[in-house]
Amino acid sequence: MMQPNLTRERRNASLGRMASLRSALAAAAALPALTGCVQVTAPERPIEINLNINIRQEVVVRLQEDVRELIQQNPGVF
Amino acid sequence: MTRRMKLMVAAGLGLAALAGSSAYAYGMQDAAGELRSTGQVGEQADGYLGLVGSAPAAVRARMDAINIQRRAAYTQLASQRNATIEEVAAATACQIFANRVGPGQYYRLPDGVWRQRNGNEPVPRPDHCG
Repeated sequence: MMQPNLTRERRNASLGRMASLRSALAAAAALPALTGCVQVTAPERPIEINLNINIRQEVVVRLQEDVRELIQQNPGVF
Repeated sequence: MTRRMKLMVAAGLGLAALAGSSAYAYGMQDAAGELRSTGQVGEQADGYLGLVGSAPAAVRARMDAINIQRRAAYTQLASQRNATIEEVAAATACQIFANRVGPGQYYRLPDGVWRQRNGNEPVPRPDHCG
């Protein structure tokens, strides 16, 4: 009468251990995904000239005649 | 008599000033071009000269002097045209790239890479030129 009870308890215990093992494995599997979120990689592209921030293209186009004169009025500078 | 003398002196001074300024202009006529032709300095899409590689301090000083003059000119035009200094500078770069970079001279687009103009092939226009 004692034997089946023991085995059932042992089975329950082993089942519990397996469950905890499984959750640990799941957590381990989730870990790389978590680290992926906070991973910081160095930029691959070279440092660029800081050009595209304050420039409105229509203004650049509008200024073409003015800058042509500017170049002519400042010999040696351009 | 004294009035005539005064006039003569004034005319003489005027002529001297004229000769001086033209000589000055002649001497400075191609300061930027001379620097470009050394290959140590090139034109950038931001409207300023830049060092292509490492260069002696004297070359750097001449380049800086020209860039200061450029910035002054850009600043003045920007205030007259209700534009930013950067916009005037970038607009000037469009003209410089099209007309001033000679064969074998260097230019740099916003990608940051120095390129040498191959013979008489046209220099690419920076994207902001439209």
